Amino acid sequence: MTNRTWHAVAVAVVALASTVGCRTGPPSQPGDPMLNAIRAEEREGNLTYVESQGRRLFLHYCATCHGDDARGDGQNASNLSPAPPDMTARTSQDPALIRRVIAEGSAAVGRSPLSPPWGRSLSQQQIDYLVAYCQSIGRKKP
Amino acid sequence: MGVAVEVRNTAPPRLHLVFAGLGLAFLVIFSWVLFHEGAAEWRTTQARFRRLETTVKNPHQLAQAAGVGGLRQIWLPDLGRVDRCETCHLGIDDPAFARAPAPFAAHPGTWLSTHPTDRFGCTPCHDGQGQATDYATVAHQPQPFVTRPMRPLETIEANCGVCHRALDPPDAPRLAEGRRLIVESGCFSCHEIPGFEGMTFRGPSLDSIGYKVRPAWLTSWLKDPKGYLPQSKMGNFRLSSDEIGSLQGFLLSQRAQVPLDSTGVDWKKADTANGRALFGELRCVSCHAVNGRGGTAGPELTRIGDKVRRDWLFSYLKDPHRVQADTPMLQYRLSDPQWRDVTAFLLEQYSSADTGAEPPPVTYQDARVLAAGRAVFERRGCPSCHRLAAIKDAGRIGPSLAGIADRDPDELPYGTNVVRHTTDNYIFLKVLLPDTLGQTSTMPTFAFTPADAAKIALALASIRKTDLPASYVLRRPAPVPYRPGGKFGELVARYRCLSCHTVGGFGGDLSTVPLDRIGSQLQRDYLVKYLLNPGAVRVSVEARMPVFHMLPDEAKTIADYFSMVFLDDGVEQYDTRFTAEEARRGQELYGQLGCQACHQLGTKGGYVGPELSETGARLRPGWIAAWLSKPQIYKPGTLQPDYGLSGADARALTAYLTSLGRSPAAKARGGNAQ
Repeated sequence: MTNRTWHAVAVAVVALASTVGCRTGPPSQPGDPMLNAIRAEEREGNLTYVESQGRRLFLHYCATCHGDDARGDGQNASNLSPAPPDMTARTSQDPALIRRVIAEGSAAVGRSPLSPPWGRSLSQQQIDYLVAYCQSIGRKKP
Repeated sequence: MGVAVEVRNTAPPRLHLVFAGLGLAFLVIFSWVLFHEGAAEWRTTQARFRRLETTVKNPHQLAQAAGVGGLRQIWLPDLGRVDRCETCHLGIDDPAFARAPAPFAAHPGTWLSTHPTDRFGCTPCHDGQGQATDYATVAHQPQPFVTRPMRPLETIEANCGVCHRALDPPDAPRLAEGRRLIVESGCFSCHEIPGFEGMTFRGPSLDSIGYKVRPAWLTSWLKDPKGYLPQSKMGNFRLSSDEIGSLQGFLLSQRAQVPLDSTGVDWKKADTANGRALFGELRCVSCHAVNGRGGTAGPELTRIGDKVRRDWLFSYLKDPHRVQADTPMLQYRLSDPQWRDVTAFLLEQYSSADTGAEPPPVTYQDARVLAAGRAVFERRGCPSCHRLAAIKDAGRIGPSLAGIADRDPDELPYGTNVVRHTTDNYIFLKVLLPDTLGQTSTMPTFAFTPADAAKIALALASIRKTDLPASYVLRRPAPVPYRPGGKFGELVARYRCLSCHTVGGFGGDLSTVPLDRIGSQLQRDYLVKYLLNPGAVRVSVEARMPVFHMLPDEAKTIADYFSMVFLDDGVEQYDTRFTAEEARRGQELYGQLGCQACHQLGTKGGYVGPELSETGARLRPGWIAAWLSKPQIYKPGTLQPDYGLSGADARALTAYLTSLGRSPAAKARGGNAQ
């Protein structure tokens, strides 16, 4: 081969090597600080987006009896007999049963009438959120 | 001719070759295009979908679904969009695919029932490139040169806000919280922000601030408002010590009015124990927090002794409207010695240990200091929030935020921040760290947490230039200012009813009771009694109505006006001739429905709703029936559930509740409870 060919081959090899090098090197990934701030808050609460929507509704509609953390220790709990249950003690929850209790009231599943029906006051979507949050309550923190 | 001959003789063999080569090249390109089109991503995706379909559906359903295929698109001329997402997302509106894997899964939630795809498409909510038909080009993930890749779920509420312009859209808590923070921080005082038109944010007017505050407090406040008061709504303007010095001199010289009214007060006789008792009785904490507990409508009082001068405080408490005409604080009816005691109590109880004696007011004579202070005051936009008669409000100092979400992200400054260039990130950094974007910003910082800054950015990211068709926009109804006249109007102004209550949506949000139909809700005699001595209807409510020390005539005027004007025609016509059987049935229902879980009756029952033993003397029957039938209509978000009562059941409960707590005389008059 001529000198010129060697030259061309060398240039090609260097070019190829540098391309590969660039691809495999650590990429300088620009961040998304706004998204990260929201995700950090989500991680802290250990809830998904849908569950955190449910928690917001829970705090508004339910916590006064069931307690802020669903331990059955809301400020109105002492007035109730039977008292609201400690929902954190349960490990598995049947979503259909939770939905029924929320929408039709505890009387609809043969319990006391103290937990009222919310099916006409809340939208289907809101009840979905609440069910998702109720299912997350027994979950351990990672 | 020579040229023509040359061409005819020499060119043909070469031209044949060129044509042959070109023909071959076209053939190759053409077959590649055909092959590429045939093997397009969406075709293989649709083939996968058909295989999945056979496992999800029965033959009958399959026969019905046959024929779905090919390029599918939704054309929305009103929104100027063409969305081909359903080419691959084939199960999106089919509940049979609820548990199917991506991209065939049905849309979660009930969103498509409220936002059908033939009206809303996909990209108005999700962003991304709707016309593309392969995963990468759609920009499911951020792509170079794509301004609006699909929004991740975490920030998708920004797109809710494009149409939902009410302050608190349902099911979008981050957007609602962002908008609340914008209102609370008063961003619209300096920036024009679409959606917040007509809102005002006012700090106190400063015309008499020279009489009001201590110089040491003013210095520390100007340096960092949150240092004195962590919940302060004023931002930190990052002023230099020179600027603080001149601004302080300028402000302390503001003694245009003479608001003081304390010459006759004998401070030696001040009784702080009586002041403490009055402080509790007047329910100051409904609006003012002390030591972290209490309302946020008025200033925090925990260190009020470090801030204000004694004579100013006395004069202000005695007649707030004379000292500061635009204050939301009401004017109580108390005597001078009573106000003296309250003032002495506040200054003694709520001062730091190192607060020294009150220095005499200083008059700054140096014209250069005053001019420099005035210049700082104007340059940093202080008049946007604080009225000062000496200075004309020059309008909004910051740039308009109309269409901010449609700014070209690559033209915005990011300073030294290594971030993806998006309007989201720009707004977020501007709110959180305004000084890192290349040049020193004149915008104050508000010490937001990153999560709060993200929510504000999210709310602002919904402000697009796009003119949506009116049928898509849900606007915030602009409240019409309510300013009644006459004797009633004077009382409303004196007792500042609208600082807490609303009429037609206009007023404060501290109270949960709008006044629009109060005359149909409450009995007139009960109103009079309540205004004279407001008790707690709910056991567990923290913000209670102040004890105004109102005159009996004033209470009667207000109650009469309410009973004649603030009526709801829909509940006024109600047959109140209840039978004993109805009342008995109502009592039965009361127990069956579990009302006692939330309501107290005598000593039994819950703390959530109002105590009911006086209901017959308190509420009007028409209102009880209307409220029980459709509570959410009258008060969205109320904890009173809608039990779906029949008219007869609602009537029975009304009969029972009306029988509670009525005076024997009223009972003797018979069934009519009016």
